[in-house]
Amino acid sequence: MNNENINLYKQALDSSNSGIVITDNLLEDNPIIYCNKAFENITGYTREEIIGRNCRFLQGEDRNQDERKEIRTHIDKLQESRTVIRNYKKNGELFYNELFISPVVDDQGNVTNFIGVQNDITSEKTIQHELRQEKASVENKIIERTKNLHENEMFLSSIIETVRESLLVLDNEFHVISANNHFFKTFKVSSEDTIGKILFELGNHQWDIPQLKSLLHEILPTNNPIIDFEVEHSFPNIGKKTMVLNAYRIEFEGSYKDRILLAIEDATDRKEIERRKDDFLSIASHELKTPLTTIKGLIQILQRFSRDNMTEKYSNVVDKIVLHVERLNKLITDLLDTSKIQTGNIESHKEPVDLRTAIEYCVENMTAVDRSKRIDLKIDNDYTVYADELQIVQVINNLLSNAFKYSSKSNMVEITVSKVSNFIRVSVRDFGIGISFDETSKIFDRFYRISSTQKNYPGMGIGLYISKKIIDNHHGALWVESVLGEGSQFNFTLPIYTKTNDEK
Amino acid sequence: MTRNNPKIFLCDDEQSILDVLEMILEPEGYEIIAESDSTKAIQKIINEKPDVIMLDLWMPVLSGYSILESIRSNPDIGDIPVIVLSASMHEEGMARKAGATKFIQKPFDLNDIIISVNSCLEI
Repeated sequence: MNNENINLYKQALDSSNSGIVITDNLLEDNPIIYCNKAFENITGYTREEIIGRNCRFLQGEDRNQDERKEIRTHIDKLQESRTVIRNYKKNGELFYNELFISPVVDDQGNVTNFIGVQNDITSEKTIQHELRQEKASVENKIIERTKNLHENEMFLSSIIETVRESLLVLDNEFHVISANNHFFKTFKVSSEDTIGKILFELGNHQWDIPQLKSLLHEILPTNNPIIDFEVEHSFPNIGKKTMVLNAYRIEFEGSYKDRILLAIEDATDRKEIERRKDDFLSIASHELKTPLTTIKGLIQILQRFSRDNMTEKYSNVVDKIVLHVERLNKLITDLLDTSKIQTGNIESHKEPVDLRTAIEYCVENMTAVDRSKRIDLKIDNDYTVYADELQIVQVINNLLSNAFKYSSKSNMVEITVSKVSNFIRVSVRDFGIGISFDETSKIFDRFYRISSTQKNYPGMGIGLYISKKIIDNHHGALWVESVLGEGSQFNFTLPIYTKTNDEK
Repeated sequence: MTRNNPKIFLCDDEQSILDVLEMILEPEGYEIIAESDSTKAIQKIINEKPDVIMLDLWMPVLSGYSILESIRSNPDIGDIPVIVLSASMHEEGMARKAGATKFIQKPFDLNDIIISVNSCLEI
C-alpha cells in the first residue's frame, strides 16, 4: 500500500460520521492507537487526549453496565459485537454509544487489534425513551379511564337501585333490556321472567294494559318525553295499582338511540292517603258546620225577635258575633274546597247564569255583613255566562271580602262588568293597602300569605287559590293589577254564554 | 190544630238544628213535626202527610238521599216538596237530580229558611 493510498484512506475515515478507533491488543491494557475526527467530535476529547488510553475511559464512573460483560464475552470468542453502552463526553454529558467491535486476527490466530466503530444514538434513544414513556402513560390512562368507567357504571347502577321508583329500559320494540330491583319487588316478578320479554307480555300478559300501550305506541312517538302519565290497572296477583309514569325515548345518536326509559311510581298508597285525607276533611268540616249552623240560627233568632228591645251596644255585639260566625264558616268551607280542588274532585254544575243577579246577590250579602263599606257596581248590560253559579258567587264573595279586608282606610269598593271580545270581564277594585309587584304572582298559591300583612289580617291563604282554580275550570282567567299603598284590582273573565257552543 | 196550619216535617240527626229550625218556623204559624232518627222518617211522612219536608242530606244509617228516593218513588207522598240541607255547597246538583225541590246550604240563613218554605207552599 503506498502512502498516497494510506492518506486517502485516512481522509475517508476522517470524513465518516461514525467515530472509529483502533486499539493494539499486543500492548499492555489494549490502548487506543488510532481515532478519527468523528471520534473526537463525539467524545469532545482531542486526539492527544485519546491515544494511549483504554476505551473504558469513556465510561467515566458508570462502570457496572451489563453491556461490558457482553462485549467481554464476544471478545473472548473472537466475535464481532454490537452493543449500546452509556458513555460520557469530556464535559460529563451522557451519550448512548452504539458500538461495533471487531477483532483483527493474525495468521497465528492472535488478536492483534480491535477496531471500534461508534455512533452517538442519544437522540434516537431519547425518542425511544419518550415513546416508551408515552406508551406507558397512555396505558396508565386507559387503565385509569377503564377504572373510572367501571366506577361510573357502579355509581349509576347504585343510583338506579336506590331510587324509590321502578325503572325499566326497553328497546324500540318494547323488549325489557333491564329493570331495577324496585320493579321486581313492587310488581313481584323475577328478573328471569322479565329481561328480554316484551313489556306487554310480562306475567302472562298481566302488563297488557291498554293505557300503557297507547302511551308507548301513540303518545310517546310525538310527545317525548311524557311526564306524570297516570295509569290504573288491576294486577291478578298484587291487586289494583295506581301508577304514575314518566317515559323518555332516547334521541341522541349512538348505540342507545331509540331506547325507552320508563319510570313507574307506585302511587297506590299515596292516592289512598289522599282519599282518606279528603274524607277526613269533609267529615271534619261537616262536623264543624253542625254547631256553627246552630249558633248562626240562634243568633239570627235573637236578632229577629228582640231587635226592638236591643240597646245599640247589645246589637253591636250581636252583629260582631254574626260577622265572626261568617268568617269561621268561610274558613271551614275553604278547607273542604282546597282538599277537593287539589285532587281534582271539584264538580261544576254549569248552567246559564245571569251575572248581574249573581253579583247583586254578593253585593247585598257583603254590605249586610259589613255596613261600613259601599260597593259601587257598574254594569252596562245584562250578561249571561255558562257557569256553576255557586262557584262564581264564591269567587265574587272572595274578591269582595278581600277588598273589604285589605282596605280598612277606604270605604269604597268598585265592581265593573264589561264585555271584552267573547268574554265578560269582572273587575273588583279597592283603594286599600295594595300588593307589591313581587307578590302579585304568588298570592294565587295555596296557603300563601303576604308576610307583612299576615299579623294584621287573619286568614289561611286559600281563598284566591280556590278562586283561581274555579275560574280556570270555567276556561277564564283571574289576575291582579296592584300598586302598593294605592289599592288592588282583581279581574276575572268568563266566556260569554252561547247556546250552540256550551250546552253539549 | 186546624188544617189551615201548614204541616212541616223536619228530619236532622242533630237535635240542636231541629230546635233552631223549630224556633224559626213555629212563630211563622206552621205546625212542626221533628224527627232526629232518619230510619223513622218515611213512616212518619206517610202517617203525617206533611205539606213540606225539610231533610238533612248527611245522616247516619239512612242518608237524606235514601229518604228522598223513597219519597219520590212512593205515589202517596211523592209530590210533597222537599227542601234539603247540606253543609257542602257542591251537593246541590246531585240533590236536585235526586228530586230535591230546594237546596239550602248550612249554616243557613233564617230568611232563606222562611222564604223557601213559603215558596214551596205556594206551588
